[in-house]
Amino acid sequence: MEQVGLAAAASEVSLWSLFMQAGLVVKLVMIGLIGASIWTWAIVIDKYISFGKAKRQFDQFEQVFWSGQSLEELYRTLSERTNTGLAAIFVAAMREWKKSFERGARSPIGLQMRIDRAMDVTMSREAETYEARLGSLATIGSAGPFIGLFGTVVGIMTSFQAIAGSKSTNLAVVAPGIAEALLATAIGLVAAIPAVIAYNKFTADAGKLSGRMEGFADEFSAILSRQIDEKLQPRQAAQ
Amino acid sequence: MKVSLGTSLVLHTLVLGLALVSLSAPATFDVAEVDALPVDIVSVESITQTQQGDKKAPASQKPSPKETKNQKIVENAQNAGENDVDLKTPPTPTTKPQPTETTAAPKPVERPTPTPTPEQNQVKDIVKEETAPKPTEMAALPQPKPEITPPKPEPTPPKPEPTPPKPEAAKPTPAPVQTENVSETGELPQAVPTPVSKPQPPKPEPPKEQAKPVEKPAETKPDTAKAAETAKTDNKATASVKPSDKKEGKQQETAKSSSSMASDFNADQIAAMLNKQEAAGGGAKRSTQVASRGDTKTIGTGLSSSEIDNVKGQIQGNWSLVGGLTGVSEVRVKIRVQLDQSGNIVGEPEVTATGGPEGTRRAVEGSTRRALLKSAPLKNLPAAKYEGEKGWNVLVLNFDPSEFAL
Repeated sequence: MEQVGLAAAASEVSLWSLFMQAGLVVKLVMIGLIGASIWTWAIVIDKYISFGKAKRQFDQFEQVFWSGQSLEELYRTLSERTNTGLAAIFVAAMREWKKSFERGARSPIGLQMRIDRAMDVTMSREAETYEARLGSLATIGSAGPFIGLFGTVVGIMTSFQAIAGSKSTNLAVVAPGIAEALLATAIGLVAAIPAVIAYNKFTADAGKLSGRMEGFADEFSAILSRQIDEKLQPRQAAQ
Repeated sequence: MKVSLGTSLVLHTLVLGLALVSLSAPATFDVAEVDALPVDIVSVESITQTQQGDKKAPASQKPSPKETKNQKIVENAQNAGENDVDLKTPPTPTTKPQPTETTAAPKPVERPTPTPTPEQNQVKDIVKEETAPKPTEMAALPQPKPEITPPKPEPTPPKPEPTPPKPEAAKPTPAPVQTENVSETGELPQAVPTPVSKPQPPKPEPPKEQAKPVEKPAETKPDTAKAAETAKTDNKATASVKPSDKKEGKQQETAKSSSSMASDFNADQIAAMLNKQEAAGGGAKRSTQVASRGDTKTIGTGLSSSEIDNVKGQIQGNWSLVGGLTGVSEVRVKIRVQLDQSGNIVGEPEVTATGGPEGTRRAVEGSTRRALLKSAPLKNLPAAKYEGEKGWNVLVLNFDPSEFAL
């Protein structure tokens, strides 16, 4: 039976026939790897779009922020919608400032600390969204070749067993089984290589964005602390 | 995320679909179908040691050379062939047919025996002069036909006079000197050169000049042609020469001696080797058999190394050397034994041990002889290789200590 199967295999070596001839394990590995490849590219597209958008928003916000426009006004316009990135940090800091200041804060140091905390929390939340799913890219990039290799090893194992059964070492008998097994490694590499490249690129981009957010947070916290000093001093002097 | 996932899916299906279409089946390699080749297993001896035969003939049990048609039997010929002389080299095909031999036959004799020729020329001229005895001038004409002599003597005399100085200086003078030096003592040469060169030129030479134009244009060839004839008729020539000239009488003696020397070696054989007109090579042993498969010449018919090892093994099996001998490792043994067709030892085998201490050598010799006699008759020797110079009719074996001191 195996002999017949192998003989038939010798005639058909197209990609589809190679896939159909493969054993169950190899088929599963191949399907899994194709799925991984799809997922990788989905992440790549998603990240590419979202990072581009974030960068544009950062630029836009920084332009508005440093344009000399009143912070109160800016807060009022921004607080009405959902914000991401620098805007979210700004809104969080302003909200904390308003709450503490309007109710009459006693200690400027406590206020400063609260604002910083609020900004940190928002910043880390934002960074998390940027780095989301980059981990799966890393996993696919590192594990993809191994998974493909596993499929190859299993495929070669089964094809050698088939050769042993056929009692012929004719290359026409040996070749299709090995070619089919190697297809698994090929798919693994096809999935893994873009994943590795994309992971490296997007971690660097995410690092840049979070760096920018940190820089903005520091600058904004400096501005707020100056404001706190200016506004609390007359109040204390009045008392 | 959903959008990008959808895009990715679409892209993948596109790429896979394209791959299925474009990469469907890689072009298979074109492999020319090779027919099965028939393979013969050939032993090394069939190449290293071949016997004379026909390359295209079917292999047969008994080696036999090509059938020959030449009826002339040559004694002691070793190599089969049509040649008149036994040569080891295979015959080279000739473009010209055999008839050249008849014309060429006299020529070969000329060259191998250069020394006798000058004298014999004179002698031979004289031989035919017998009919027209003493007058040398007359003798020239008789050579073609003795009877015609009378009319021609008259024209001949004028010829000798102009020519004599040149031909004499060219040929006769050097030749007699050489031969006499070789054949006889120094007395004769002195006498001969002087008369031939100067005083007597007119008398002996006119016949040559006349003879040459008649027989052949070339000067050297007539001499040789004559030489062949003279060789046979030496006795007559010597007898007849005497009347012709007083001084030539001495030359006749040299002619005798040279002819006797010529009989010592085979002029035919040397002539055949020198002759460039005939096909060179080829044996002279006659054969009446149909050719078996073989080479153009016999290369070797000795035992192959594996066959020699086989014989050695038979002897080694019967070897029992007494232990405790000193210096056995330096002894070498050589056996020379005559065998008959069935491998039995004929006569007393020669066993020679060399090297090592005297006592050990003797003990080894004794044990070798015993082993040899015990292992007779020797088996598995190829019958086809019995005969001949290299055959095993006489078997020579060398043993070193590693082969007998087991």
